[in-house]
Amino acid sequence: MSEPILKVEAIVKNFGGLCAVNSVSFEIKPGEIVGLIGPNGAGKTTLFNVISGYHTPTEGKVFFKGKEVTGFRPYQLAELGIGRTFQVVKPFRGLTVLENVIIASFARHPKRRPAEEHAWKMLKFTGLDSQAAKSASSLTLAGLKRLELSKALALEPTLLLLDEVVAGLNPSEADKTIELILKIREKGISILIVEHIMRVIMNISDRVVVLNFGKQIALGRPTEVAGDPVVIQAYLGEEAA
Amino acid sequence: MRRNNSLYLCILLPVIALLVVFPYFCDSPFYLRIATEIIMWIGLAITWDLLAGYTGYLNFGHAMFFGIGAYATGILMKHAGWPFLLTLPVGGLLAALTALIIGVPTLRLKGAYFAIGTWSLALAVQQVALVLNITGGPDGMRLPIFLNPRYFYFWMLGIVSGTFILYWILLEKSPFGLKVKAIREDQDSAMALGLNPTRIKTQAFVLSTGPVGLLGSIYAYWITFIDPLSTLGDILTDQAVVMAVFGGLGTLIGPAIGAVIIFAFKTAFWAYLSDYQVLYLIILGAAISLTVVFLPNGLWGTLIGYTNGGSVLKKSNRSGIQGLG
Repeated sequence: MSEPILKVEAIVKNFGGLCAVNSVSFEIKPGEIVGLIGPNGAGKTTLFNVISGYHTPTEGKVFFKGKEVTGFRPYQLAELGIGRTFQVVKPFRGLTVLENVIIASFARHPKRRPAEEHAWKMLKFTGLDSQAAKSASSLTLAGLKRLELSKALALEPTLLLLDEVVAGLNPSEADKTIELILKIREKGISILIVEHIMRVIMNISDRVVVLNFGKQIALGRPTEVAGDPVVIQAYLGEEAA
Repeated sequence: MRRNNSLYLCILLPVIALLVVFPYFCDSPFYLRIATEIIMWIGLAITWDLLAGYTGYLNFGHAMFFGIGAYATGILMKHAGWPFLLTLPVGGLLAALTALIIGVPTLRLKGAYFAIGTWSLALAVQQVALVLNITGGPDGMRLPIFLNPRYFYFWMLGIVSGTFILYWILLEKSPFGLKVKAIREDQDSAMALGLNPTRIKTQAFVLSTGPVGLLGSIYAYWITFIDPLSTLGDILTDQAVVMAVFGGLGTLIGPAIGAVIIFAFKTAFWAYLSDYQVLYLIILGAAISLTVVFLPNGLWGTLIGYTNGGSVLKKSNRSGIQGLG
């Protein structure tokens, strides 16, 4: 079945007079990793928020597994199989690491004990099991980002939206995270990833979408996009093109 | 800091057993009445804690639900001749229904706005009771007399213990407790994990207020006289708030202890310093101010090192998802 797992069609998002996303369209095929890049303020996180249900698009449609999900709330999308992480991590600080993931596990395992078993599995997969009993507020940034990932994975999603999971990590932590992302893809989960660190995006993405001032300026394989003069101009200014 | 649930059960069950046999050791109606009232305040404090400590919503209209139960029983018994036991579920259900209805506009408000919204709705209900004829207006209403301290003691004890046990199971054992705390900690994150915040908050709201309606119903028949001041006034809400905060939000046990301590203080004050009643309110106000500043986790919360129930007191009024990036 080669029906795309995600299809965004001519998405426009205005906030009053500000056009944050100006007609973005692309597809994600099952098992693909698609990168979403662009300078700061390009509209990447807004697009993420539209796809994950936190904003309703002003125009355009979102399709998940062929079914239209435009305007669906985040918890409905989580149920359908879309998981996401947040650029600024959102742990449940007052709870333990394990409790954080147990809550995420309730989506597929409504009862406490199965949810707890599932949570342990997730923590083992992401390497946080040794810190399961610690309060979430005591984790380092790397730990928090990993917790964010564990929670999204606990939903057993088919599509994972990653918002800057590598930013702020030192090189060895970043490499471990990249390994984790590739392992996630091996499980058959499709990924849309926003990242500022070029080597990460260019190395792991199958295709890349480039935004600038809300507009889609490029879409293609990493090498094509990297050499595209429009993209270079967007990042480095007129003279460099 | 992991709490040992079976330890709590070992302490809780004997305490309840003691409370059950208490009337048979103590015949004095005076002490029985005091015990009944302490139990009632424990109920008011723990129900407020469910919404405030666990869910993170400060309900400053808590008294409204008490008064609804009280007047439901009052009106049905006095004007329609209903027996008390039939009015009891009506009181509880009406309170729960009210929460369901006002929850729709209010639960989407954040922080302080929810507090103001519920507070003003409670004032509105109090006004309604003051002007209607059927409620007796400002003079209140008298119910049929039934002097049986033990009867009311057991009803109060039954409702409050039942509520406590129900809450304990729901909040500490079942997934509901974690879901409610997730909403309290970070609503946007909770939504991304499949939790519907409106549904969960509404459930918490109804669970918090239904029992309060029942307590109001019992109160009405027990005291035999109700009026808008005693059953719908701010002072009712405020005392429950102080008890819960002073005891320790988010722990259930904390508010229960807070209720006992504050009520003991109140009774001692009434007994020995009744000339200075207004001083009681001033001291209460000072107590809550000092608690929030110096002991935000309350007495019990600080004792067991539970720092999260008081998070609703410390958290700033954050708005939702971050915007462009």
